Amino acid sequence: MLRSIFIYGLINSIILALTAVGFSLTYGISRVANFAYGALYVLAGFAAWVLLHRLALNYYLALFLAVVFVALVGAALYRFALIRVRGMPISEIIVTFALGTALVELLRFFGLFGSAYGLPPLRRATLQLLGVPVDFQRVALVVIGAVLILALWLFTHYTKIGLAFRAIAQDEQAAMMVGIDPDHMATLSLALGSALAAVAAVVVLPLGYIAAESGSNILVFAIAVCILGGLESPAGVIVASLLIGYAQILSVAYFGPHYQMIVALLAILVTLVFRPSGLFGKQKELEERV
Amino acid sequence: MQTKSVGVVSWLVAVLIFGVASSSGFAAQAPRKGQPIVIGAPLSTQYLYGWDAQRGMLLAAEEINAKGGVDVAGVRRPLKLEVLDTRDLEPGVPLSEALLVVEKLILEKKADVLMGGPVRSEAAMAAMDLIAKYRKVSMLTTGALTPAYHRRIAENYSKYKYLFRITSEAGQLAKEAIDLFESIRQANGFDRIFIMVQDVAHARAIAGLVGKGLEQKGWAVLGSEVYPTGALDYSTGLLKARDQKAQILFVWMDHPETAILVKQWFDLKIPVLPVAGISSAVEQPGAWASTGGAVAYWLACPANAGNAPSNATPLTMKFYKAYTDRWLVEPEGYGASTSYTGVYVLTDAIKRAGSLDAERVVAALEKTDMVGVYGRVRFDPKSHQIIPSYDPKEGAVSTWFQWQDRKRVVVFPTAIATGKIQVPPWLAPSK
Repeated sequence: MLRSIFIYGLINSIILALTAVGFSLTYGISRVANFAYGALYVLAGFAAWVLLHRLALNYYLALFLAVVFVALVGAALYRFALIRVRGMPISEIIVTFALGTALVELLRFFGLFGSAYGLPPLRRATLQLLGVPVDFQRVALVVIGAVLILALWLFTHYTKIGLAFRAIAQDEQAAMMVGIDPDHMATLSLALGSALAAVAAVVVLPLGYIAAESGSNILVFAIAVCILGGLESPAGVIVASLLIGYAQILSVAYFGPHYQMIVALLAILVTLVFRPSGLFGKQKELEERV
Repeated sequence: MQTKSVGVVSWLVAVLIFGVASSSGFAAQAPRKGQPIVIGAPLSTQYLYGWDAQRGMLLAAEEINAKGGVDVAGVRRPLKLEVLDTRDLEPGVPLSEALLVVEKLILEKKADVLMGGPVRSEAAMAAMDLIAKYRKVSMLTTGALTPAYHRRIAENYSKYKYLFRITSEAGQLAKEAIDLFESIRQANGFDRIFIMVQDVAHARAIAGLVGKGLEQKGWAVLGSEVYPTGALDYSTGLLKARDQKAQILFVWMDHPETAILVKQWFDLKIPVLPVAGISSAVEQPGAWASTGGAVAYWLACPANAGNAPSNATPLTMKFYKAYTDRWLVEPEGYGASTSYTGVYVLTDAIKRAGSLDAERVVAALEKTDMVGVYGRVRFDPKSHQIIPSYDPKEGAVSTWFQWQDRKRVVVFPTAIATGKIQVPPWLAPSK
């Protein structure tokens, strides 16, 4: 039992990290809480399905193009809608929430309902890890998640755009003084955040099937992880994913599966009461100090 | 002159008599065309149990209209379907939405009768008073499995007599599940079961009923786990079932994430026979393709016959083919055959009543005795619940099928079975 808790807890944590990292990155850079995140996740899955089954593209090419497409949609979301309400958090939330809802309804209008939309796994096989059976897709998901998080760290620390992201996140006005265009960076952050949602979708959705209503669940989990870890903190996302991921698996094993959703919601509640900035967040702390 | 006048009058009288006679004769052959009968359908249209009902109803209405409509006291009246989305299957949508939809159908759309939902039991129960207040004849054809619905009608007949349910209900389905498991025990010697259900009222109720019923019959019920809607991982429950040497996994979930459970069961080769009750991810014809065949060996119950291919009655495959031709997909879930049959049952009652008056239609519905897609249709006179049976000649039969080689093969009840239950090769039969 302990071995299966360890392995499936890790898998659960990586799924949570994958689904939350894009939300956190966008917020960290542009301060936009992208409530269309869940809809973009579903859009990526549906786009991959269309490319794979309707246009009969190569599996990896279809997944790649779906990620690129959703990144462009994310960029367009900023350029055509969010730019007008930039700096007004409530309006940003309303705009992203409304566009996300519209997007999901549009997908339904084009036929995304029912169980006919499934993405195949990378490989159908079962591995034994520490004597615990695990399907190949979940193992691949852990590897992809770890590589992606490492790549993101390298990107934000060693590339020009990544450093510009961090500069904007730390002090937007100072960044503008050295010639960094905040709107350009915000567009890129929306694109990158959406691309990360798309990567999560094409890796996680083969575990089940593509359903329009999955988007809201993903958004809830992403928000829970980000609030616990600190909305703008990548390290916080990883730690919070591990905490919620393992807490969920432990609650399933010892208390009952129906407590696993409560664990995520409880994490939001407790964090907001005792540490509103999250475990690694600084925003609220700084505001309070000022 | 006088003779000429008499001749003209005679001609006029003759023409008049001929005209009256011929017009009344014409009327006898083809009644006058009247206003449409408006069927208001409150359905959660974005979910399987909403859109399959809508498709079933529309198919029946098109068939009836193609034959000239419904004869109501000599007037041919076409059917008009008004569907509004109750959203009651969507998470987080308050029940008041469904109630507003029901009221809008009655007041704005001028529905003569109601049919379909609300789909979620909680919403259907909440709508009972509203429907009774407006004295609209209503027929539940999808969702709303709670036995409390027909119990409430029986307890307060004078108030709720306008409400009928033409589909199965949780108590009956639990009984059938127990009988199905007993037949599996007889054939394979299995008597160890693990239960996994979704955290919704009807699923928890069924888990309780089935677990208790099986324990009384000497089964080992090894666990009964309740999963929240939207759960993304089922490994812990599956590994528990494996470690406790369960032989049957009983699942009752209607959220799309059940597909994750199906795939995990297949990938981990958990040695249990999976039996899902009403479960959209397993029921639908697209399940084989969307799970890449992982749904093989899964049993499911799309409630009444006709939603999977069988020869329950001469009308079963006729409906099955008509639905497939019309919608380019086989009947999908448990709202299809009941909603289709419901339209025929209701229009038959209206025809016999010769009126749309609620009291007369209710009286006619109570006398209904006809063969439908899933057997003989009769309502209990007090509770207005359709009378179930394992024999389609006696009552409404359910259907339990198993996914075998890309096909949904009906395996229970025996009277309508077209195949036998197969056990996954990684599960050894006990005998």
